[in-house]
Amino acid sequence: MIGGVPPPDPGGGYVSDQNSNNIPSPMDMDSTRPSRKRQIEHSHLAPRSLREVMSRFQVEELHLTLTEGQWRHKQWGYPVLDAAPGAELYAWFSPEVTNIDNQWKKLTSTLAGLFCASLNFIENQNTINPQMSLWPSGATEHLSNSSSYLRYASLPREIVCTENLTPWKKLLPCESSHGFSSLLNSRLIHNTNYHSVGVHVRKICANTACTETFIEIKQTVALVYDFKILNSINWSFKLLFGQGLLGGCPLASSSKIYIDITSNSTTHFKLTPPPNKIVESHRGGSEVTLAIYEIKPDTAMLNIAAKQGTNNRVILNIPPPLYFNRYVLGYGKEFGGIVTEIVNNYWAPIDIVLSENAPWWLPIQLSTLRINGKAKSKLVMGQYYSPGRSRQKPYHLELLLRLPPKSTTTVTIDFEFVFLKWQEYPPDANHGFYIGSALITANLPTAKNFTGLPIEGVTFDSIFNASKPWYPAVFRTNGAMVSLPTPDFSMPYNVICLACTVVALAFGPLHNICTKELVLKATGAPLGLRQKLINLFKKKQD
Amino acid sequence: MSKICCLKLFICYVFLNLIFVDTDAFDIPEGFEKSNHTNNWAVLVDTSRFWFNYRHVANVLSIYRSVKRLGIPDSQIILMISDDMACNPRNPRPATIFNNAHEQINVYGDDVEVDYRGYEVSVENFVRLLTGRVPPDTPRSKRLLTDEGSNILIYLTGHGGDGFLKFQDSEEITSQELADALEQMWQKRRYNEIFFIIDTCQASSMYEKFYSPNILATASSLVGEDSLSHHVDSAIGVYIIDRYTYYVLEFLENVHPNSHKTMSEFLSVCPKHACISTVGVRQDLFKRDPRKVPITDFFGSVRPIIITTDPIDIIEIPKRNKNTENKTTNVVQKRMYLPQFPVHLIPSS
Amino acid sequence: MAVILKYIIAGLVRFWLIHTDYWQTISNRVEIATPLNSWKRLIEGVYLYDNSINPYEGDSFHESPILLIFFHFILKQAPYIMPMFFTIVDLLTAYFLYKTSKEFVGLLEKNQEKNKDDIANESKSMLLQGSQLSEVPEYVLSVFLFNPYTILNCVGMTTTVIQNLFLSVSLWSAVTGYQLISCGCIAFATHQALYPITLIVPISILLADANKGCNKCSYIRTLLVFVLCWGFLIYISAYIMDGSYDYVYNTYGFILNVPDLKPNIGLFWYFFTEMFEHFRLLFVCAFQINALVLYVVPLTLRFRNEPMLLATVLITLSAIFRSYPCIGDVGFYLALLPMWKPLFSYLMFAYLKREFTLKHGTARLVDGKPAKLVLR
Repeated sequence: MIGGVPPPDPGGGYVSDQNSNNIPSPMDMDSTRPSRKRQIEHSHLAPRSLREVMSRFQVEELHLTLTEGQWRHKQWGYPVLDAAPGAELYAWFSPEVTNIDNQWKKLTSTLAGLFCASLNFIENQNTINPQMSLWPSGATEHLSNSSSYLRYASLPREIVCTENLTPWKKLLPCESSHGFSSLLNSRLIHNTNYHSVGVHVRKICANTACTETFIEIKQTVALVYDFKILNSINWSFKLLFGQGLLGGCPLASSSKIYIDITSNSTTHFKLTPPPNKIVESHRGGSEVTLAIYEIKPDTAMLNIAAKQGTNNRVILNIPPPLYFNRYVLGYGKEFGGIVTEIVNNYWAPIDIVLSENAPWWLPIQLSTLRINGKAKSKLVMGQYYSPGRSRQKPYHLELLLRLPPKSTTTVTIDFEFVFLKWQEYPPDANHGFYIGSALITANLPTAKNFTGLPIEGVTFDSIFNASKPWYPAVFRTNGAMVSLPTPDFSMPYNVICLACTVVALAFGPLHNICTKELVLKATGAPLGLRQKLINLFKKKQD
Repeated sequence: MSKICCLKLFICYVFLNLIFVDTDAFDIPEGFEKSNHTNNWAVLVDTSRFWFNYRHVANVLSIYRSVKRLGIPDSQIILMISDDMACNPRNPRPATIFNNAHEQINVYGDDVEVDYRGYEVSVENFVRLLTGRVPPDTPRSKRLLTDEGSNILIYLTGHGGDGFLKFQDSEEITSQELADALEQMWQKRRYNEIFFIIDTCQASSMYEKFYSPNILATASSLVGEDSLSHHVDSAIGVYIIDRYTYYVLEFLENVHPNSHKTMSEFLSVCPKHACISTVGVRQDLFKRDPRKVPITDFFGSVRPIIITTDPIDIIEIPKRNKNTENKTTNVVQKRMYLPQFPVHLIPSS
Repeated sequence: MAVILKYIIAGLVRFWLIHTDYWQTISNRVEIATPLNSWKRLIEGVYLYDNSINPYEGDSFHESPILLIFFHFILKQAPYIMPMFFTIVDLLTAYFLYKTSKEFVGLLEKNQEKNKDDIANESKSMLLQGSQLSEVPEYVLSVFLFNPYTILNCVGMTTTVIQNLFLSVSLWSAVTGYQLISCGCIAFATHQALYPITLIVPISILLADANKGCNKCSYIRTLLVFVLCWGFLIYISAYIMDGSYDYVYNTYGFILNVPDLKPNIGLFWYFFTEMFEHFRLLFVCAFQINALVLYVVPLTLRFRNEPMLLATVLITLSAIFRSYPCIGDVGFYLALLPMWKPLFSYLMFAYLKREFTLKHGTARLVDGKPAKLVLR
């Protein structure tokens, strides 16, 4: 667990995290509970419900996040693990699974029950199968075609509230009674600019040859507080969580809080009580200073607080090497376009995979794809496109791009609006329809602003001095919203009557032409009463 | 004609009493009839969407809180909430819902479990839940796993009219459909007794079509009457609870798992001067006398405990299967970490 | 001379409109472009095909694979030729309609001469005069060339332009008796849009009339040639798509099942947007039967001696009741209407009334008493 004080950004926002400064971090020690594969039926600290899900549906790796709000990469830097707004779920299945789509449906319904979320709305029509953007982070057997066992879906409309936090807390061995999760008071954490809870399950190597594996369950929470709501630029656990921390979970082998105090050299602030340790980490050209608090089960009530110096000025926010923005173009309800702007702020080119996905009711046209306004661009090194089909599968486009240094790349693609059937509209059809985030997988050449764990890393201390040539990271752009054309929901009977009338108008005369013949019938002088009666009689006889 | 009916009823009554007296082996407080239910379930449904229907969510959560406090576990409560009020951007106090302008009780609490939420609350899902005809992958928390020993409390709130109840402001369930669903439950032996509460306008029209046995029904208003809300919270600008549920909650706050309150007290909870609408009651389908039914038969939970003085013999301890280890050892799978970026796809220039 | 002038003016108007700024707007209008025929979808399909993605995998493209590779070829080789191409195709359509109506008028005249003896004396004045007949092809030509519907359809560069060409060629060749051309064209139109399949009935009658001899043999031969052509086209399409018949679901399936509810000038989208889901299949079947087969048999029995009238009526009905109609279809049938200009004064049931009057004379008398015409 980390806690941290972020540099106050120009907008006055103030970022904190369950753990620390603008770094949301995995609750490492609390939640990493390796257990041997053989004893898969046993679960000591790992929640049995999750273990059963993993073995029953033969899931190799699972990532589920429930997020409210949008992470602002440009202002806030990078989170440890990014998450799409709403619910996001992706999983790799074991190669033994024959019908993955079926298994995926079962997995989503089970998780829906487990986390009180509407994950059962995940169906084939909103599931994609990314080819380039997602790679298993755990130790894996399927080396070449991992993507065929992968399913990805996000529900941007999903609301995240107390009922999702409760089951999340119940997965922890100490639940919400002890340890860090006792800090998570629903009223305070939902009063933030951004909050995200996540569960990440993967298999990690148990020995150096990697013939055996552990299962690692990582539970993460990321919170971004707003200065204005806190009404203070100083922060403390009491202010953020409403209470101090009363010892760690007795079942944990280690509980640590990391606070990023790198900015302390420019904007001075004072931490109370003083940290147990201060560590400097040099990683890929960036230097980070972290204050570490070790929490023991018997630690007395701990209320970590930071007090800002008196003469602190507003610090200029330096954007990270790569950031992006996404928006919808167009007016009216016929045509539109999605634009993704990606800024490479670094002096070297950065390779990325951009994974756009549009729901079936927003068909995109690949022929309208423009990169910086051009149909054919040298930036594209690879492309994958899976066209959607109405009510069956979404449109999915992946682009492998090389972003030139210090540049902005604009990817535009046009879409058409689709008319849904009357009963396919949600009850609040005029609220608008959400488009999910695009995924951006970047191969960052620098660790500036990057706080992700190295792939073999289990706990947060694995980032110390973990320099690598590349720092791969997956980001989510912001989602978007469109308003689809809506019919008049009160009119079905009128419509049916009108359409049937048109058909009848054609049918009637044609029926007459085809089945009747023209004859002459006498008119002339009005008939007498007697004649009329006779005629009537005659007719009856006929 | 009516005399015969009366007579029949009387005989029936006596007969039932006799049976109960006969089988009465446990110590039941004086004046109560024995119930033969073995478990308790609650289905609590808020059917309306949109912020201005805040009060309906507050209604249903108030009942939820009460039944939970009185002992029905979350696993036996099916809570359906059509819209998110707690974390709604319009809610100045996120993750809270109050049923009182004084903000005494946060009915959303810290460990609420909403089983059906948002668009999942539909007529189809509601009827499927009741009748048990859910899709095969449905998780436990979204199933009503009742049996013939279950007492079910059904509470509905939302906007209704004469003979229907609106769901999500876009579809409706009619009283006939609801009655048929309950009949199907009865035929499938999915309940022992049902206590049906509905707080909507013209609420009593919803139970008039019921024809299955063992249902006690009450409604916040009669046909032709509106159910009114209790008071507004000017801080959030919406009405925050309906009159009927407000007084029901006031009553339930004084009920404890051991209290001796009866259903008849519950049925007379909101007199006309307080509710403005007339509370309707239908008890012809219910075999027992509400005056003798403890309120905990529906609002509490039965925890069957068998006290034994004899030691219990556990005959067989399942032995561990040792073969499994041999099976797994022959295959050694070599695993490795994959690169997290498709570097191999980048053409080398 | 005047005819050539018409062609030139009409061609210039089309060519010019394609090059104006309004072209984009026109080709995107829902009245002109449906999911089936729009230029935008054609481009998308060609683009996907060019990038070796199966255009029929998704929902982006619903045209026939033959047109797909045809346009793929043209757009690769000479994309600038497109405006010219569409203009010329439309002018050709006009030309063939003109020829058709000329042939038809000739036939009409011949028939009239032949049946002169059956006509009541007092109705003789109603017989069509030479001048009346000679102006018919002029009208047909003008209506097709200068009808805003056809102009916009051509300017929008929809594939309906090509379909209209095939329809007109098949009508012309049927009237003149070229069996293979006629069947081939109608098979292609059917392959493209399915609904022209009904036209095989009037065409086989026309062919039988044009080629004297055994009528029944002619019908069977025509049908056989048509089925073979159609089957061949289906096979060729599958061959283009590497032996996969998946495209059938995305072309015929798309036409029959109406999954796209984008507004157009037809009835389907309007009706099925607000249809209760469990009745959908029933009404889809009812509407498709109405558009495809319902009227063919009774109308054929009624008008078996007037195959051209039968063709006009069937084209009109399918233009109105098809699942994705556009104004190009309407423009085409409107161009056929002037052939019946002499009947306009009779309005409804015009043909029947005229036949009746020709036979029985203008006097409406039964046993010397005044009478009126009624349907029985």
